[in-house]
Amino acid sequence: MSAAVTETPIATLTLDVNGEPVSVRAALSTTLLTTLRDELHLTAAKRGCNQGVCGACTVSIDGEPMRACLSLAQGCEGREVRTLEGLGDDPRLVALQRAFAAHAAFQCGFCTPGMLVAARALLERDADPDDAAVRAALSGNLCRCTGYARIVTAVRAAARALKEPA
Amino acid sequence: MALSGMLWPRTVDEATALLAEDPDARPLAGGATLVAMMNARVLEPHALVNLGRIDELRGIVREPDGGLRIGAYTRHRETAASALLTGTGAVVRHAAGQIANATVRNMGTIGGSISFADPGLDYPPAIVAADAEVEIASVAGRRRIPAREFFVDWYTTALVPGELVTAVVLPRPESGGAAYVKHARVSGDYATASAAVCVAAGGALRAAIGACGPTPLADAEVDALLSRDRSDAAVTNAAARLVALADPLDDVRGSSEYRRLLIPRLLLRAVRRAEATTAEAHA
Repeated sequence: MSAAVTETPIATLTLDVNGEPVSVRAALSTTLLTTLRDELHLTAAKRGCNQGVCGACTVSIDGEPMRACLSLAQGCEGREVRTLEGLGDDPRLVALQRAFAAHAAFQCGFCTPGMLVAARALLERDADPDDAAVRAALSGNLCRCTGYARIVTAVRAAARALKEPA
Repeated sequence: MALSGMLWPRTVDEATALLAEDPDARPLAGGATLVAMMNARVLEPHALVNLGRIDELRGIVREPDGGLRIGAYTRHRETAASALLTGTGAVVRHAAGQIANATVRNMGTIGGSISFADPGLDYPPAIVAADAEVEIASVAGRRRIPAREFFVDWYTTALVPGELVTAVVLPRPESGGAAYVKHARVSGDYATASAAVCVAAGGALRAAIGACGPTPLADAEVDALLSRDRSDAAVTNAAARLVALADPLDDVRGSSEYRRLLIPRLLLRAVRRAEATTAEAHA
């Protein structure tokens, strides 16, 4: 499915995606999500609802988790966009990925990239979140498979793993 | 003249000049509402006036008279964490913290939210209860209107083409308490119904009900009654008056009958919670 719209004015943009300047063409109504997926082939961020509800498209913009589907590509010039693909050097992300696998915190996996980006941001500001803090931080990320319990368990396990001496 | 593309004014004057030049150009703030509408093809603007580089629209500042000016581009996250929103002004902080979810609160702005004027939003009843004014700019200059007059009908505000919300201005917060109680189907949803209450330490109370009519439901007699007497019986009487004034929808979030049943319960909870925060503040 492509949400690209071509009728609105097109511009050539330079975006900062995962630390690299990239040149893309995007219509006024093209979202960052469409540019990431369809132009840059960065497909970790998923197009679920395209209305900002499901959280599957969550990426980091200027250091904070945001909705790629509610961000227009033409509005992202001059901002630091980090997708899941560009966060792999962060030990928090690695710990989360291991914990999600160890605790079976996904089934179909569609929501997982958004969960990981949001959970990474949580661990950055709170190294030891309790269940309520994890649930609050991930309340904008819908999972239709797991019932969330394993996701919460995995995020807390990742937090514990990060505190252990390497 | 029709404008085209993403436009980046640096001042409010530049922004309103662009909006005057092309009435079909849309102001864009956080995108939480406008981009969702574009994705749904409800709107397909050819020009967007991006407000993201206008310093004046950002942040919360204290005005000379003690009032609090919340710039239109202030994101919900910042409002929800503001140490300036105390006492009766805390109702706006409480509402901001209950909007959608943490990720959307990183994006959405108060100006964009109130301009959408969906009855299920959290800010409208809160800024009505706070007795706020909405500051509006156009090429003709600036005007301020009471929040109650800003919300006109379902999804309709007092804005006319070419106008832009520049700030929500709260009166100087009084010592006292405030509460915003929201009932929603799930965390992060629009309100099925909500109640915003501010109680000044001297007793003056202001209440507004959300999502039970085209605009926030508030009534001077209800406020007067609850400013004198906040017994359970008085709250029940006040709520009955609000129920009679309500005009709720039947929709996926609840029937109109259900919403009418929620009003007394949410009002009582909000009044008691506001009183409790007053007590804490003075303990």
